Amino acid sequence: MDALWVELLKARRSRLPWLSAIGISLAPLVGGLFMVVLKDPEWARRLGLISSKAQLTAGTADWPTYFDLLAQAVAVGGLIVFGLVAIWEFGREYADRTAKDLLALPTSREAMVLAKFAVVAGWSAVLTLIVYLLGLAVGFAVGLPGWSAGLAAESAVRLATTAGLTIALVAPLAWAASAGRGYLPPVGALFLAIFLSQVIALLGWGSYFPWSVPALYSGVAGPDGQEVGIAGFLIVAFTGILGLAGTALWWRFADQT
Amino acid sequence: MDRAIATSGLTKRYGDRAAVDRMSLTVGQGEIYGFLGLNGAGKTTTIRMLLGMIRPTSGTAQLFGTRVQAGARELWSRVGYLVETPHAYPELTVRENLEATRRLRHIADPKAVERTMERLALDPYADQRAGTLSLGNAQRLGLARALLHEPELLILDEPANGLDPAGVVEVREMLIGLARDRGVTVFMSSHILSEVARIATRIGVIHEGRLIEELSTEELERRRRRWVVVDARSRPAARAVLTFSGYAVEERADGALQINGERALARPEHIAMLLVEAGSPPTRLAVEQEELETHFLRLVGTEGRDEAWPD
Repeated sequence: MDALWVELLKARRSRLPWLSAIGISLAPLVGGLFMVVLKDPEWARRLGLISSKAQLTAGTADWPTYFDLLAQAVAVGGLIVFGLVAIWEFGREYADRTAKDLLALPTSREAMVLAKFAVVAGWSAVLTLIVYLLGLAVGFAVGLPGWSAGLAAESAVRLATTAGLTIALVAPLAWAASAGRGYLPPVGALFLAIFLSQVIALLGWGSYFPWSVPALYSGVAGPDGQEVGIAGFLIVAFTGILGLAGTALWWRFADQT
Repeated sequence: MDRAIATSGLTKRYGDRAAVDRMSLTVGQGEIYGFLGLNGAGKTTTIRMLLGMIRPTSGTAQLFGTRVQAGARELWSRVGYLVETPHAYPELTVRENLEATRRLRHIADPKAVERTMERLALDPYADQRAGTLSLGNAQRLGLARALLHEPELLILDEPANGLDPAGVVEVREMLIGLARDRGVTVFMSSHILSEVARIATRIGVIHEGRLIEELSTEELERRRRRWVVVDARSRPAARAVLTFSGYAVEERADGALQINGERALARPEHIAMLLVEAGSPPTRLAVEQEELETHFLRLVGTEGRDEAWPD
């Protein structure tokens, strides 16, 4: 608990909460803009390109489409924002050269790693909640049709599951930040994961590549897209466990020079 | 005397290069041990091995009789440390940084933070963000973190770094006081022999990863070279008289005469008498001692290598 208290203090005092909240808020706001564009074709025509882009990705302006957009935003945007949160949590100890002060203490190194992961997971959950609540506010402000309490609850579960999958997938980035001793290697790994997730999904193997799974689950590929089976969920869970264990083992056994 | 630190054949290799090579040393409880070496000699690698941050390639390190390993959490509550330049969380204040350490060290007494800030004269900066501290105050904050839990053993890497002269004296007195009054063992590395000699009870010299000498401060004093320096109005005349009397005389860069050898050191007044009788009385006569840093450079065989000796 002491380690968690310290990690929360460090996170609170950083710019991370504000920057990540602003970053993730773009999803419901931009999604809302698409909805406005789709709702008013006359105005949309005057906007030119933006309206045609919105037409391509979103379809119709209603609550089911908007909830789809939010889930996809958490799958793709979430990987970037949650990933950056994890990279900051672990990489900052090396960038600020404070890691050495965490290594010979009565608090175990594993407790330190777990506390960091708890902050990453907790804050990512808060960011997901921000997306959902802001999405509701924007949806009502735009006056989208097709609302039902059942749809809202079902969408909340889908958003939470997508977020859970995405959170598990940032664990290997924590290892990359620790082994790479800073920000650059994990940011490279994040870009690589995003790039590969697109390519592998295009090749049709996306439900077996962990970083493609949240986006496919969120329905980014449309109603006829690849289905994520139990194997996909297990692969994501395994990747998360591997990332967490790898980070803890690295902190425990690797030479900290 | 019980041992606070004991290493046996401690070695760390990176490929073919031995950063630390078969180091065996012991430090008794209550001792202040000066660990001296040039930059890159292996001081920090040794310290990191003592703290379980680096795994030795071979050999062992023990603190208070317990073998050092990363998971030795009981051990770490007895040890305070400062490795290389201290870095604190820049966005946290001095007080918050210490509060974080207090939590991670499971110190029950919340007043420990205030007490330590007062001790290190950090209270005026308590609410200042650590990122805006001067180098000296950042060093004080590092020392405060090492001392917060009142450890039995302090492992300090270059503790005087960045401190102003008053700060250096203050920290020196504090460490001497801790060892004398509370029996705290201090293991401190430095590359400045004169600084170490003022505080340490024993000195170990590390060079290219090997412990090349271990000696007490008194022994160090005995080993330093000494000579007699003489000056006179007519230096050639004085030199001739002394050489004729069998002294080994050499002229120094400042023109004064340096007389080496035990005979001169044993009876410097004889030199004065000789010169007076020869009508060339000395204008200056002194027994001088080798500078500590010169002695150290001679020891590690890098005399005159100024670039390795920035201070």
